[in-house]
Amino acid sequence: MKPPIARSALAVVIVAAMAVPAHAQTRQASTAEVGPGGVSDDSYKAGEYNGLQNSGAYGIGNVDLRGGDAAYNNEATRRWRVIGNDLGLDTRSVFAEVGNQGKFRLSGGYDELRRNRSDTFQTPYVGAGTNMLTLPGSWINPLVAGVSGTNTAGMVVSARGLVPSIGAAPYINSVATSPTFGAMLTPTTAQIALVNGAAAADNPLFHPYDLYTRRQTVSAAFTYNFDQQWALDGSFRPQHKDGAKPMGTVSRNTGGDISTPIPDLIDQNHTQTNVNLNFKNDRAFAQASYYGSYFRNNVPSMSWQNWASPAGTLNTMSSVPGNDFSQINATAGMSVSAATKLVANGSYGRATQNDAFLTDPTTPVVPVNSLNGLVVTTAFNTKLTSKPTKKVSLSAGYRFDDRNNQTAVHVFQYADAGEAPVANVNFPAGPANPFGPVVAQNANANRPYSRKLNQVTAEADYAAAPHQWLKAAYAFDRIDRWCNGSWIDCADASVTNESTLRGEWRTAVAASVTARVDYAYAARRAPDYNENAFLALVPYANVVPATATGGMTAYSFMIANGWNGWGPAAGYSATTGNLNLFFPSNNALANTLYANNNRISELPGMRRYYVADRNRNTLRSLLTWQAGEALSLQGGLDVDHDDYPTSVYGLQHARTWALNLDAGYAIAEDFTADVFYNFEDGRSNTASNSYTANSNAAAIAGAQAAAIGLSGNSCDTYTTLQQRNNNNKLDPCLPWSANMTDVVNTVGVALRRKIDRLDLNGHLIYSHSRWDNAVAGGNWQNNLLVGPGAAPTTTAAFFIAAEPVPTVWTDTGEVRVTGTYALTPAQGLRVSYAYTRMRSNDLVYEGMQTGSLSAAAPTSEQPFNYSVNAFGFSYVLTF
Amino acid sequence: MAMKPRFVAALAVAAAVVLAAAIVRAQTPGQEPEPKAAPPGTYAQNAVQTCLRECHNKEPFTLVLQTPHAVKGDERTPFAQHQCETCHGPSPEHIAQTDKPVTIVFKGKHASPAADRNAKCLSCHQSGLRQHWSGSQHESRGVACNDCHQIHAADQKVLRKATQAEVCFACHKEQRAQTRRISTHPLAITSLANTAKMACSDCHNPHGSTGPRLLVKNSVNETCFTCHAEKRGPFLWEHAPVSDDCTSCHTPHGSSNAPLLKARPPWLCQECHSGDHGAQINSGANLAGGNVTTVNGQQAPGAATPRVQTSARACLNCHVLVHGSNHPAGAKFQR
Repeated sequence: MKPPIARSALAVVIVAAMAVPAHAQTRQASTAEVGPGGVSDDSYKAGEYNGLQNSGAYGIGNVDLRGGDAAYNNEATRRWRVIGNDLGLDTRSVFAEVGNQGKFRLSGGYDELRRNRSDTFQTPYVGAGTNMLTLPGSWINPLVAGVSGTNTAGMVVSARGLVPSIGAAPYINSVATSPTFGAMLTPTTAQIALVNGAAAADNPLFHPYDLYTRRQTVSAAFTYNFDQQWALDGSFRPQHKDGAKPMGTVSRNTGGDISTPIPDLIDQNHTQTNVNLNFKNDRAFAQASYYGSYFRNNVPSMSWQNWASPAGTLNTMSSVPGNDFSQINATAGMSVSAATKLVANGSYGRATQNDAFLTDPTTPVVPVNSLNGLVVTTAFNTKLTSKPTKKVSLSAGYRFDDRNNQTAVHVFQYADAGEAPVANVNFPAGPANPFGPVVAQNANANRPYSRKLNQVTAEADYAAAPHQWLKAAYAFDRIDRWCNGSWIDCADASVTNESTLRGEWRTAVAASVTARVDYAYAARRAPDYNENAFLALVPYANVVPATATGGMTAYSFMIANGWNGWGPAAGYSATTGNLNLFFPSNNALANTLYANNNRISELPGMRRYYVADRNRNTLRSLLTWQAGEALSLQGGLDVDHDDYPTSVYGLQHARTWALNLDAGYAIAEDFTADVFYNFEDGRSNTASNSYTANSNAAAIAGAQAAAIGLSGNSCDTYTTLQQRNNNNKLDPCLPWSANMTDVVNTVGVALRRKIDRLDLNGHLIYSHSRWDNAVAGGNWQNNLLVGPGAAPTTTAAFFIAAEPVPTVWTDTGEVRVTGTYALTPAQGLRVSYAYTRMRSNDLVYEGMQTGSLSAAAPTSEQPFNYSVNAFGFSYVLTF
Repeated sequence: MAMKPRFVAALAVAAAVVLAAAIVRAQTPGQEPEPKAAPPGTYAQNAVQTCLRECHNKEPFTLVLQTPHAVKGDERTPFAQHQCETCHGPSPEHIAQTDKPVTIVFKGKHASPAADRNAKCLSCHQSGLRQHWSGSQHESRGVACNDCHQIHAADQKVLRKATQAEVCFACHKEQRAQTRRISTHPLAITSLANTAKMACSDCHNPHGSTGPRLLVKNSVNETCFTCHAEKRGPFLWEHAPVSDDCTSCHTPHGSSNAPLLKARPPWLCQECHSGDHGAQINSGANLAGGNVTTVNGQQAPGAATPRVQTSARACLNCHVLVHGSNHPAGAKFQR
């Protein structure tokens, strides 16, 4: 039997040994958080990306679990981690990884992203959520009272008839041959009954259908280190997206196109895979990799019944096709010397698409069943950097990026939606017609756009003084654009050249003050901008029409006269021969003479801004000052100014300047405050011309010659309708401009405070944006009240001056507070609260309301306005 | 001769104390005798024990012990080599006289030049995402690795999706404000769990890249297609600015014009199009209640209607497939 003292001594030793814990600083902590949360109000916009779109309760679940025996003082290398966020919401994500550090690593995850689009969308269609939308059997085409073509009281199909007070309102007789043409007529009892009947049948059929899309992504990845030089890694990432988003569609009704917004069904899969083989040693590194991206759309098309046609005819439009992209990459870099490095990268990729075409009676000529599309992308990039002296750093680089679209060109013939194909008598079959007869309103050739970039860069950095550096840089970009196989160059600008000069000064004048000013000037020029590139779409512009003389085509006649598609700068005159055929009355190139339903020539002087001549000035400046131990200040001013000197029409200039101010203050050791303010002002100016065709009409309707006066036209000298009509193409009243401004103020405050066991974090962010468009110019509107017997002084047409577009504004505010109280070092209680608020007004919603547009079905969507409170109460365990 | 009980007890207690001290010392940087000043360039025998003592034996310095850098079993790591001095350089002067800085100082008023700090990191992290660091935008502007990365932290903010943007926004203030606009990518934290669904590094590689503006892929479009593959095509009918560069029309950090547009239709479209009705003026006069619908008050409400191009979805009421159409009758992006 052991002596009692010895036993006690042993016990003391044992207890002493157990009482010494493992050092907490080397062990990674895991956390788990669970609890309930709640949301006060439904709002799709408030919950756009965060899963909090529905009022009510939700579960809080977040975990960050870590383990493994790897440490600084043993030879173990195992580490693992599991992270879960928002487990109780539609935006949940889970990620796990395990590995022996330095040898291998495996990881996998799952992520959900929900994008809420609209919870105020309404539709009358049955089948929302599928790709076949039908109207209920009780649907009646909405009507407004009007005059039939036979001069009797009739009805006109119009979505505005869904509001009976509009549908049954007095209307203007617009039938020119009617004895009451131009008169205001009162609907008959029968007309009113028809309006009311349709509205009563249709309005109850509109029902809400919430629009959102959801993306689910699974990921798996591995890394394996063969040794210290060689490693292999890869990833596999399949993704599924489903839901619905709002989409406009076009159908045809008697008298023109109509639009039907529908819930576009989304059901897509996208898988990405990546494998990299890596090598590195002390002086060099290299990588060979493969990237694959495979996209499949499980919705081949969308079909919907026409809400405005008597029989509710079915329309179909295509959905995006599936495509594949495979790319191999190789990168190598080496230290040429202690001061010089060289890196080069090359890649080769192929994008293919070959989904079957949709065809129907409107597509009489479809020469191939699918695109068999192929785009080959080739890229090469190299950069040499050197530091020849302590004060000088140099770099030079070259980049090549080629997107070569090798898809074949074919000519397709089709009628527009809802039209029956009609042959174009200008292009019958014949030996002079290599493409065959035109049997529909449109004969278009596809344009497989290609683009190639060559870029050289050079940069020099000089340490001008202690803590002061000067930099000069130059870059030259040449971009070639073309279409393989098109009969004429399809690119508006086959070549653009851009030179950029940049100078920068930066300083760290003291450890507490750093500053930087960076200015760049870039000049881009398109030496051969081609205003007739649009002709690549219409190959019949290069075919002799049946009635042309001298073997002229639309294209050759333009070139012979030095014109673009807009034609001669002339008013009305009686034209003859080829001039009358191609540019009748001196108007723009007649679109039927290039076999297209619409006039697609652009104004002379129109320049598409992404390839137009451009002068760009860019200024970046930043000042950071650590004003004391506790106070840091930062300010910056950025300016961008783009000017398009040769663009008579199109984007003229765009300027943005932004001011940023930040301050951070450590009020106490455990109490910090940060404040920021951002101001951004963006402006742009666009010009165009709403010219119409010259004509010799002296009066509004041929039989009504009495009214010939004009009103409101201080911008031109025309006094009669005929004068104006003779010069519709040249009227100085018709150029217009849009002057857009986008001003945003954003302010934020963040506070962090630790009081004893309580950790508090809070922030407030407020953003106010305001978009305005001051449109200048105007347009003519004929006086529809001109009728027989109108006085000779009756105004024939009014010049309606442009008005500013209503301001689009958005106010967003967010207050967020989180407090965590440590019950023990391992356990805590967390309370979270967020208040988010948005007020907005946007003109686009006016057109979505019932009774607004005649030719577009309403959806009743509303601008985003919400006030939502969300809270969470959770238990946090750290172990 | 038997030992006296009290002596045995005292011996046991002493042994227990020593044992406890030994256990604790084995797991913590213990007390070591003051090293003598070593010649310059000499590494300490055991930097962890030397450095993480009374001066640095607290957070955040000791948090490095929880990171991959401190996995001694991985022979690539600093802690498998010279421990603290692998990154901070051999610093015998600092060890001997603590008011002298270490060889490589990463923060504070004695911070070493960015190039020197970066050279330390790049001595191990040269490849992978850093292949194109040399001559990149951040490198040429004197940004140091530890301006974004926190080595003495159990979790680096810049490596977590929820907190990465906060690090980038320390310099990129405009983008911070733009993520608060009505149309954005999900970069801003809006969840009560303080998580974001996207990170800046989903599109950008701040360490350098082959693409413009530090994009992860060779071009803007290739980068966008990693999430928006449905826009890649090729399509039968392509829209030239789309196949050229997505940023012809879109501004990806945030916009007042949904969806992430630089300007709103119809005026955005009219910056390139003047054919057919593309040239027609759209202003407040064309809207419901505007002058065009009344023509100076002389038209009845039922007689006229605002231009559909100025209302609702504007041009996209009909020309919806602006990214390209694969329908034989889709040249106008309507089908």
